[in-house]
Order: sequence, then C-alpha cells, then structure tokens
Amino acid sequence: MMRPGGTPTAVMSGEHSLPVLPGLRELLPGGELARGTVVTVPDFGLLPLALAAGASAAGAWCGLAGVEEAGVLAAADLGLCHDRTLLCPQLGSRWPQVVSSLADGCEIVIVRPPAMLPAQLRHRMEAALRRAGGVLLVAGEWPGAHLELRVTRREWSGLGAGHGRLRACRAQVLVSGRGAAGRIRDGWLWLPAEDGSISPAEPPLQTVRDLPQRELSAHPHLHVAGAG
Amino acid sequence: MSRATASGRPGAPGKARGGGEAQRVMVVSSPDAGAEESGQLAALVTGYCPTVESVRLGVCAFAARGPARYFGGEEALGSRIVEAAAAAGLGCRVGVADGLFAALLAAGPADGADPVTVVPAGGTPRFLAHQPVSVLEDTDLAGLLRRLGIRTLGDFAALPADAVASRFGEAGEAAYRLARGEQPRPLAVSAPPDDLAVSAGFDPPQPLAEPVVFAAKALAEQLHAGLAARGVSCVRIDVQVSWADGHHSSRLWRHDGLLTAVQVADRVRWQLDAATPGDADGAAGGGITLLRLVPDQLVRAAGQQLALWGEAVVPGKVARAAMRVQALLGQDAVLRPVRSGGRSMCDQIHLSPFGADPEPRLPAGRPWPGRIPGPAPAVVYPEPRPARVTDLAGEPVTVSGRCTVSGAPAELAVDGGPPLAVTGWAGPWPLAERWWDPSAAVREARFQLVTADGRAWLAAVRDGAWQVEAGYC
Repeated sequence: MMRPGGTPTAVMSGEHSLPVLPGLRELLPGGELARGTVVTVPDFGLLPLALAAGASAAGAWCGLAGVEEAGVLAAADLGLCHDRTLLCPQLGSRWPQVVSSLADGCEIVIVRPPAMLPAQLRHRMEAALRRAGGVLLVAGEWPGAHLELRVTRREWSGLGAGHGRLRACRAQVLVSGRGAAGRIRDGWLWLPAEDGSISPAEPPLQTVRDLPQRELSAHPHLHVAGAG
Repeated sequence: MSRATASGRPGAPGKARGGGEAQRVMVVSSPDAGAEESGQLAALVTGYCPTVESVRLGVCAFAARGPARYFGGEEALGSRIVEAAAAAGLGCRVGVADGLFAALLAAGPADGADPVTVVPAGGTPRFLAHQPVSVLEDTDLAGLLRRLGIRTLGDFAALPADAVASRFGEAGEAAYRLARGEQPRPLAVSAPPDDLAVSAGFDPPQPLAEPVVFAAKALAEQLHAGLAARGVSCVRIDVQVSWADGHHSSRLWRHDGLLTAVQVADRVRWQLDAATPGDADGAAGGGITLLRLVPDQLVRAAGQQLALWGEAVVPGKVARAAMRVQALLGQDAVLRPVRSGGRSMCDQIHLSPFGADPEPRLPAGRPWPGRIPGPAPAVVYPEPRPARVTDLAGEPVTVSGRCTVSGAPAELAVDGGPPLAVTGWAGPWPLAERWWDPSAAVREARFQLVTADGRAWLAAVRDGAWQVEAGYC
C-alpha cells in the first residue's frame, strides 16, 4: 500500500498506527497495527512476538504478560528491543489491573489471559486501550477482537532423519478481522527465515496434506487471496 | 608554569578550599553484621559520638577528634568501643586515620591481633603507599593500573596530577585523591538548601514495613531528581522515620551519589528492621507516620554518564506503569531481560527486576561453543517438561555414554500428552558444563525433533530421562 506521496507506509510510529516488520505488511490491513485495537492469535508463539517486533524496533515499549515461557532470545532476533521490554510472567488473580497498568505505559502489550474476561470488563479494557493508544495482542480468545491471525500450516526445513538442524520454517498465516478489516487474507511467511527474521515466502510446491477442510469451505475465496 | 596555571584558575578546588585537608575519622567495622546487629552497633557507637554515619551494613564512621580528646586518645577510645561491643556480643575492628578511605582500610582485616589500628596524624600517605591498588573500589581502574605496572597506591600517588586527570578521567582523579590521602572530591561550598529534603506522611499510620519501603523508592527518585536539577550529589543521606507513639529513628547512610532509588529503599528497610528488632513491620510503635530523606554534605555531581550501550532511558510513563504493577504483585513481578552468555536457552537471557541494575550473569558477546545454532525457540520452558520418546518398536530411545542413540525417534509424548509422530530429528549434541561444580554441573545430550503437527522441539536426555526444553512454534 502506498501513500499519495509515494512513500511506503509504516516506517515510523504513526499517530494512528504502529509499524510492523516489513515481512508482515502485506498481511495486515493498511500494513500496520491500528492503535487502540485488540489483535488475537490462538496460541503464544513466534507470531505474536513478530507482530510486536516492528513497533519495538521503532522505539515502542513492549509488555509481555502472563507468558512464563516466552523465548526472549527469539524475540530479540526478530528485532524486539529487550531494553524496551517489560516482562510480567506471573499475573495472579488481579491480572486485568496488571494488564491495564502495562497498557498505560507500553504501546504494545502481549498477554495470555489466564481466564476469559466478562464482557463488561473486556469493554472497559478496550476503552482504556483506545485512550492510551496502544495495541493489545492476546494469545488466546477475545470475542470482538479487531483482527485475528492464525498459523494454519507450518513446515520446518533443515532437519532430516538423524542429521541436519532446524533452519527455517515456512508458515501459512490466515488473517481475518471485523469491520473495515473484514477481508480475509492469507499468505506464506518465513516464520522465521534462516537468519531469524520474518519475510514473505513462496507457497510450497507440493500440496500440504493437513489443510483443515472447514477453513476452505467457510472462505471459498481463500485461493484467490492466497495468490497475492 | 604549573604554579601560574593553578593560580590562574580562581575556582580550582585546592587544599585551602577544604577539599584537601582530611579530618581524623574513626571507623568501626563488623563485616558479618546483619541489619539488626548493625543497628545495635550504630546505637552503641552513638554512645561515644552523637553523629555517626553508617557507611554500609555493619560499618559506621564518625569524626574522631572531639570524642578522642574526651576519652583520652584515639587508642583508648577505640579499645573502649571494642570492649563495649564485645560485651554486647558483637565482634568488631576499629581503624583511625586521616579521611574515611584510609580509616576503612585500617579497620579492614589485618594480621595483627590488635583490633584497633591507629594511623598517626599525617602518616596516612605513608600508610596508603603500601596498599595494593586492588583496594580501590573501581575494579576496572585497579586492573588497568596493575597492567600498567602500578601496583601500590604509593606508585599511583607519585604520578603527576595533570597526567592522571587527562589519562584516567574523573573517576581516576577521584581515586588519585584517595591514594594521596585527600578527600575524594572537594566539598561543595554552598549550604544545603532546605527544599532538597523529601518526606512522605502516612495517615493513618502505616503498620507494615513494605509500603513504607515502597514509598521510600519513589521518595529517593524525587530526591535524586532534585539533586540532579542542581547539579549536585550528596555524600550521605539521612533517613528519618517517625512512629505514631512519638519515637524517631535517624541514621546517616553513605550515598556518594552512587546509590539507586532501590538501594536507598534497601537502606530504609535495614533501618526499619533494626529499629524494631524481632518485628520487621512497624506495628510496634503504633505504625509509621513519617519518612523523611535528607541529603547531607552536598558535593558537585561528577556526572554519572548513562551507559553508551545497554541500558535505555526509561520514560516516566513506563516507569509509572511498571511500579504500579510492582505495587500490585511485588518487586520481582516486573522483569527486564538482559542478554547474557551461556549455552542453554535459559542461560542466554538473564532477567532482572525493574529498577535494579541489569547486569548479565555471564559475559555475553563471547563465543560459547556448544550453543544450538539456527533460529532461537519462541517458547522456552522455565522448567523442562518431562517427555517420552520411543522408536518404531515402541521402545524408549536411550543415549549411551559415548553418544550413540539406541534407535531413531519415532514418537514424542510431551508431559503425558498424546504421542506425536516424529517426522525429522537430529542429534545427539552432547553438552557437559561446569563439571567442576557438582551443584551446577550439566551433562546432557540434546536433540531437535519435528513432529507431524508441524511443530519443532528442543529435547534433551539428562540422567537417562527425556525432557523438552523449548518449542519452536
């Protein structure tokens, strides 16, 4: 996506959005993360860290809450600046307050909620998030999230039967959203590439067998979008 | 020539400005003392001199001239204090010299049986000349001096002052003044403005120590900001606490412009522990009503430069957010990662609580052969998860002492979960670390596995059992 001036978007922290890594721009509506929104991924992994890395590298602070086993080293390789990272591994029972506090200080907060929040509390947190202008990345469920990303297929390369080492992973990422971001996109990414970064990947040549059938039937236009 | 330059600088700090002539200082040191013993020791010494400064835990100092004259000499005063401390069950050593630095060294461990060491007036430079440069607190500087062939403080003090200043900078200049038996920094001539003291009142009185210590951290930050705004730092900090029943506790702690807010809060905690023995919280006196931090002996700030690499400046709103979470969950709940050395995934990141100095445990940036190359795992389990790996025949896969695998892994079950078919694997990569220390020794054989669901794992065999250390997903 290009602005009238011809410069690519999402280079600096904007007023209304946070930049993402160049490899992820194609996948996201507007090529950025809109401030004040909630983005979900089903499980914690490299994807939420990659989503936060672009903003962190551009100077944003990142909070990482409720994920004891977060691989900080992988995050650093993606570009997440560890000088601007706050970790809060144990959330305890007052976790909504903890997450709200973190969201007041950090532009991006990754959280794996220990439990589903009641709708009322959820709306209150969303309102606070809009005021603070941050982005909440939820590893788990969050009804009414603006954007949902999920890895549908994943292929590691470099490892044979008793030889080699893990080198890179090609993953298909499906992005769905509500409102203006409603169009479903999908794309293949190196998640990560051999140097630990994220970049767009060519779809694999052979058909991968474990494609979930229901995703296809629910979104018949998936094939068209996948070409881009 | 040098004379002309010296007189040409009217503001230059010299002996005449009170910076050079060091006063007689007596140090009472009980290195093994905890917070409570250290409080007892300070109370005991206060019986001989009303203004006592706590240098650190178990070490206090005071100006010796007046008390020594009253008690019949420095030697006699020192012996009295040692006897009184022994009667109270505290072992201590006493050192007297010109200036705090030399007195601290004199009170340090010595081979002589006499617990009192008196360096005669004017004899301090000679006393210091025999000390090795390693007594300087700045270990970097001490190492550098040793490599340059300067082994004692006497050698260091013999260097020309201007050469030291230009070669070793502000820190070297301060150490040079110490080595010559002078004050490390000239005292600031201006009187301390009253508004630099900060205080927090508690209404209703706070019965618990923890919230007071927490408030102390914020107060210390306020104090440091006030000092920094005037370009000064304080040599000592006076911590004053008042309880609801009317009793007070006031102690001077060494600061030297080096303490962080958290370290000041630590001193407040020690003081509270000592003030109410056996009852760490302040409930004894009906709760704490007032905490006041007063900077003492202002000196011009030499400028603590922020690290060029590593620590980023924390903006106010982030610090506030982190401190709010710390107030909810405790000091250790908010962590900052620091890249560290080491071979395992857990070693390569060190987590330090927010507000503390982040310091890598093992040096990063050096080769650590034996690290797993390639992309780092996104999930690193704080405690490895038990796993079961079987070969095609359903037998558990084992690794011999010579690193041969009993069979190709075919199935992986993590933490008692359903078995996943293994589609690719590599290993074993042996790792034997710290074999010289049985409590920290690690001996394991590591594998990478890819399972049919597309996930990849870092697994290891340790003491014959499989465990999953990290996941790539």
